[in-house]
Amino acid sequence: MRLDVPRDVSLDGHVVDGVLGYLTLCTGIAFAVLVIVLAATLIFHRARPGRPHAHHTYGDSLRARLLTFGVGLVLFVAIDVTLAVRASGHLHERFWNYPDADPSALRVEVTARQWAWTFRTAGPDARFGTPDDVVTLGELHVPIGRPVYLKLRSKDVVHSLYLPSFRTKIDAIPGSTTKLWIQAQEAGRTEIGCAQHCGVSHYKMRGWLIASPEDEYRAWLARAETDSRLRYDPADTVAQQEGWEW
Amino acid sequence: MRRVFSTDHKVIGKQFLFLGLAFLAVGGVMAMLIRWQLARPGQPVPIVGRLLFPGAGGVISPAAYTSLFTMHGTIMIFFAVTPILIGGFGNFCVPLLIGARDMAFPRLNMLSFWTMAAATATLTASFFVPLGAAQAGWTAYATLSTAIGAPGPGQTMWTVAIYLNGVSTIMGAVNYITTVVRLRAPGMDWFRLPLTVWGFFLTSILNALFVPVIAAAMALLFFDRVFGTQFFIAGTTMRAGGDPILYQHLFWLFGHPEVYILILPAWGIVSDLLSFFARKPAFGYRVTVWALIGVVVLSCVVYGHHMFTTGMSPLLGESFMLLTMIISVPTSLLFLNWLGTLWRGALRMTTPMLFCVGLVFTFGIGGLTGLYLADIVADQYLHDTYFVVGHFHLIMAAALLMASFAATYFWFPKMFGRMMSERLGKLHFWPTFLALNVVFIGQLAIGWAGMQRRLYDPSAYDFLKHLLPWNVWISRAAYVLGLSQLVFVWNFFASLRRGKPAPANPWEVGTLEWTVPSPPPHHNFEEIPTVVRGPHELGHPDARALGKDWLGQDEVLS
Repeated sequence: MRLDVPRDVSLDGHVVDGVLGYLTLCTGIAFAVLVIVLAATLIFHRARPGRPHAHHTYGDSLRARLLTFGVGLVLFVAIDVTLAVRASGHLHERFWNYPDADPSALRVEVTARQWAWTFRTAGPDARFGTPDDVVTLGELHVPIGRPVYLKLRSKDVVHSLYLPSFRTKIDAIPGSTTKLWIQAQEAGRTEIGCAQHCGVSHYKMRGWLIASPEDEYRAWLARAETDSRLRYDPADTVAQQEGWEW
Repeated sequence: MRRVFSTDHKVIGKQFLFLGLAFLAVGGVMAMLIRWQLARPGQPVPIVGRLLFPGAGGVISPAAYTSLFTMHGTIMIFFAVTPILIGGFGNFCVPLLIGARDMAFPRLNMLSFWTMAAATATLTASFFVPLGAAQAGWTAYATLSTAIGAPGPGQTMWTVAIYLNGVSTIMGAVNYITTVVRLRAPGMDWFRLPLTVWGFFLTSILNALFVPVIAAAMALLFFDRVFGTQFFIAGTTMRAGGDPILYQHLFWLFGHPEVYILILPAWGIVSDLLSFFARKPAFGYRVTVWALIGVVVLSCVVYGHHMFTTGMSPLLGESFMLLTMIISVPTSLLFLNWLGTLWRGALRMTTPMLFCVGLVFTFGIGGLTGLYLADIVADQYLHDTYFVVGHFHLIMAAALLMASFAATYFWFPKMFGRMMSERLGKLHFWPTFLALNVVFIGQLAIGWAGMQRRLYDPSAYDFLKHLLPWNVWISRAAYVLGLSQLVFVWNFFASLRRGKPAPANPWEVGTLEWTVPSPPPHHNFEEIPTVVRGPHELGHPDARALGKDWLGQDEVLS
């Protein structure tokens, strides 16, 4: 009975793991106290021959109210407020700090459909919709050590790009564009899943994220671009991936 | 005919209860089929497999599996728990507990039940149409639920069934609100109401406000499917200018209050029952009432936490995160008051009490795991995984089931004039409680390891393959959970026929329903009682002077 959390290969995954650990600590303590008090009443405060009557109180004295409100407030500040403040910091510093102005970021258009992912990068001219665009089905190739900026759309129903080894996911929605940025820190293949129920074959909608060192990535990209140029036929509009403005 | 088309709230309450229990059984069998597929992917279902899935030799196909989890969720939420708790116990309890002869609008009440019956008939019929029952999940997200993802008539019938269910619920809500506002017995001040009544009253306010929203969403979805409108349709498969996210907003604007719609009656019932069986007044009654009201208000402004992964604006996301976390304030007051009620009580561990204590435990885990999902950083990993499934089952399944069972064991004597067996009740409680926790805590664990929801075969993913033993054990616990409900069924029907005749007040408590015979006569009260005190006068020194430990709400001391 192993319970392995997917291997974290990302720049920011450890932040999510840290938050999860902190949550488990806080809620674990709160739950332990709840169980201990509950168990104590069940053990010591039962009706029995020597103890037929309860201690009579309405719990509406000032002292009782201060106690409940006090404990409630302490819990709220100690757990909820610290969580919210920490989360807010992480979001603005990292997860929502999109690399819009970062020229080194790899930009990828993700198109979801029942039941596959396609990924398009712009090629050396850095423009989408040109013959050197590289389109891959089910495989997202990324270099390690620099940001990857994904923008997503769906052709048909709502999907969700799920990267367990990056501890994140984002929905792909028909008619609107969503975005996500990640950065791989380790070379290797990790799985891509779909997290949003998208029909009968939802469970088969998976892919691979292939992270490689910069030089290997560039070598792969050069081969892929050559293939793309050779295959490109301006007359065949059906074969061309639809895109959108960045 | 007069007994079938009755306007008596007690009869209608029982009709709702039986309807809900029947669908609870159906939804439960579906849960076990889902668990079979997750533990033994692609293997024929034993015993019932060839009967249910004859075309596939007893194997659950991906399409059948998709229908199963869609209909399991739909049935459990809209057609089992809603009729049991709100239709069943709401109807039976509200007039009796406030000292009224019936609901404010008895005919509307009857219409509410028969509209619900029409909804269940529509839903049941949808299993037998071409392409089968709905497959878009109980949330029925557009565009999967439109003609793009669900061409068959099953999804259209699902839409109609949910709409009718909503109509029934709104009729009930209006009725409960009016009854509580207008028909309280003389002296039954707002702060003398049993907390059960507060639960049903506040639930009805939420129902009246938010069920119209889901009804609107269903109407628009129906138009999209049948009349070719494009409210929710966008994308390149079918070019249109609608917005699938609008559907999610409408759905969760209702869907989040719905959680509280179902849990508020449970909280009310448990708050009362813990007091009754601890033989102590409910600790901090007024704080509990204000906490319930606080939850009602907050429940209207937190729904966005279901949509953190749709790329909502940062300001909106952070607002929903913070508002969601604020809910833990009234909720922790509620827990503290429950513990305060139990503390230094003289606990009588009857079957209803066991289920209430069980609820405090499982709701504790369910509530605390909500924090993980309120935190956007953690949610981006846990969203749409089994962690979510475990979290909401601990609340919507474990806590609500235990509240329903507690209520059933508690009010059965008043409903049917006979006692249920305590021995069988305890035999029902222990396997139920233990199995529930194994199943839903197990789900939290596999969600922690990253397993997504609604996968026909998780082993399609390499990183989930090692979770198979977990799924096997969760499924075994689920079968135990399912089978131990047979004890309840046996106890229920055997007690109905051969149970010990119930006295008027078997639990020795002071609320008004226990002042009339079991079962109560047609119009409940020969004479409308005059209420002189609150609902939880237990262990009162004045009462002890009379040689008992409780005082009735209408009991005049000479």
